[in-house]
Amino acid sequence: MSRWNSACAFVLAVLALAFPFMVNAYWLSVGVLAMFYAIVTASWALLAGYAGQFSFGHMAFVSLGAYTSGLLVKWFDIPIPLGMMAGVLMCALVGSFIGFVCLRMRGPYLALFTVAFSEVLRIVIVSENEVTGGSGGLEVTPLFHGRTDTPFYYLGLALLIGSLAIMQFLVTSRWGLFFRAIRENEDAAAASGVKVVRFRILAFAITSSFAGLAGGFYGHYIGILTPDIGSVDQMGLVVAMAVIGGAESIVAAMIGALGLEFLVEALRSYGQWRLVLFGALLLLTIRFARNGLLALAWQQFNAILPLPVREGVGGRGRFGTGTTPSPQPPPARGGGVS
Amino acid sequence: MPPLIEACDLTKRFGGIVAVSNLNFAVQQGELVGLIGPNGSGKTTTINLLTGHLTPASGHIDLRGKRADGLAASDFAALRVGRTFQITQLFSRMTVLENMLVPGLARPHSHKAAATREARQHLEFLGLAALESLQAKNLSGGQQKLLELGRALMLDPDILFLDEPFAGVNPFLRDEIIVLVRKLHTDGRTFVIVDHDIEALQRLVHRMVVMSRGEQIADGTVAEVRDNQEVLRAYAGV
Repeated sequence: MSRWNSACAFVLAVLALAFPFMVNAYWLSVGVLAMFYAIVTASWALLAGYAGQFSFGHMAFVSLGAYTSGLLVKWFDIPIPLGMMAGVLMCALVGSFIGFVCLRMRGPYLALFTVAFSEVLRIVIVSENEVTGGSGGLEVTPLFHGRTDTPFYYLGLALLIGSLAIMQFLVTSRWGLFFRAIRENEDAAAASGVKVVRFRILAFAITSSFAGLAGGFYGHYIGILTPDIGSVDQMGLVVAMAVIGGAESIVAAMIGALGLEFLVEALRSYGQWRLVLFGALLLLTIRFARNGLLALAWQQFNAILPLPVREGVGGRGRFGTGTTPSPQPPPARGGGVS
Repeated sequence: MPPLIEACDLTKRFGGIVAVSNLNFAVQQGELVGLIGPNGSGKTTTINLLTGHLTPASGHIDLRGKRADGLAASDFAALRVGRTFQITQLFSRMTVLENMLVPGLARPHSHKAAATREARQHLEFLGLAALESLQAKNLSGGQQKLLELGRALMLDPDILFLDEPFAGVNPFLRDEIIVLVRKLHTDGRTFVIVDHDIEALQRLVHRMVVMSRGEQIADGTVAEVRDNQEVLRAYAGV
């Protein structure tokens, strides 16, 4: 299996690196935006799919990161990378605060709270038009000056790979285990010694930071920010990308984002009907492939491969018998984890 | 030497209902105590209070002679207070081994290799070793109870609160749990066991505490409790 994974990763890497030389300026621009959506979607998958916190305010953090960087660069003339870092920091702080406020909220209450947060932020941006440019938009200094989007594409690709590497490291670490434990059962996690409050806040802070990073990149690429970037419509698109790809896998969510962004543009000539198509696709995914289409496709792909059959785990188990072999002495006391 | 854990005038209210009222109850290191009482007598609330899952309205909890009320459940776990739940609470979509690793890695200065080794030793002890790669939701009810016990053991607990370990298990598994608890007790662990299966408890515990309507009505040896008229009245309406 790892051979197939490596082969797929190699092909994807070659395609990603060669992409700017294979397409025209329009599709290159779509590629840059796909990188942006991939970071946002993967980080939302980390928050909702792994940590179980269904936030509907993730795009608000994109907006916060983008406006923080854009405003600092505009009003204080600081270097753009510093502005983007300030956006990340701002999102981490506000994310921690929102995570703290939402500690006792679950499911629909958390979703509604985060919708309210994103609307409040959007209205503040619209109202403070002397500072933020309001609905008319805020002009943001671009990261690169030139006639091609190629530098933006490679920067977006680097940010995506870096973000994915950090997120993947996180989910395979003990923090990732604790995030999943909290998602599964908070009482059991607390009884197991997991500091639930700390890890819920951490999940919000970390994922908001990635959203802020993506927002900063987006703002300095597009060159103009409008409050609509943090709208519920945009959030719906990110949720659809994650669910269709697979919200419980960061890589699947990322691929869902890349695929859907290209599909949205490819079907642009169908106008609003393409949104109907995506809605139907989302409904079918939720109904028939709750782990996302990618997991389903990967399962089918594996099923047709002539791979050696692995011996099932637990074959010698005692399913439903309720009996065990004679117990052996347990591990010595005090000799636990060092 | 102070008791391992002690409830002092512990009271818990839910709205107007007093679930636990002025409970005074101490457990010494190495004891094996049964906590019994009719439905709604406040047994599970007591466990929830003594493991940090609920905060008392008044009174206090001492753990090894130090105040522990107000600590979070995770702090109690870090202080080597383990528990199981009345309704088994597992990380359903995580594997058996991952279920064990959560408390193993939540312990300070833990390492994955050592925690994995220890988890496998416990799974072997519980007879679940062959199932370590299965998702917890795919285990039978009895296996889930054993896994929950194993997860609590990963805290290397000084004291273990077992909430209805014999509920809904067949007689063979019940005997098996009794054997396991005896072995763990011989190893130096202290137990407080809540259950309705008086017969099983009589075979296991040295001391019984009886609660009724949130109050402690008896505390003594199994024989003393069995002959206590107030206990009979509370239990059977005699």
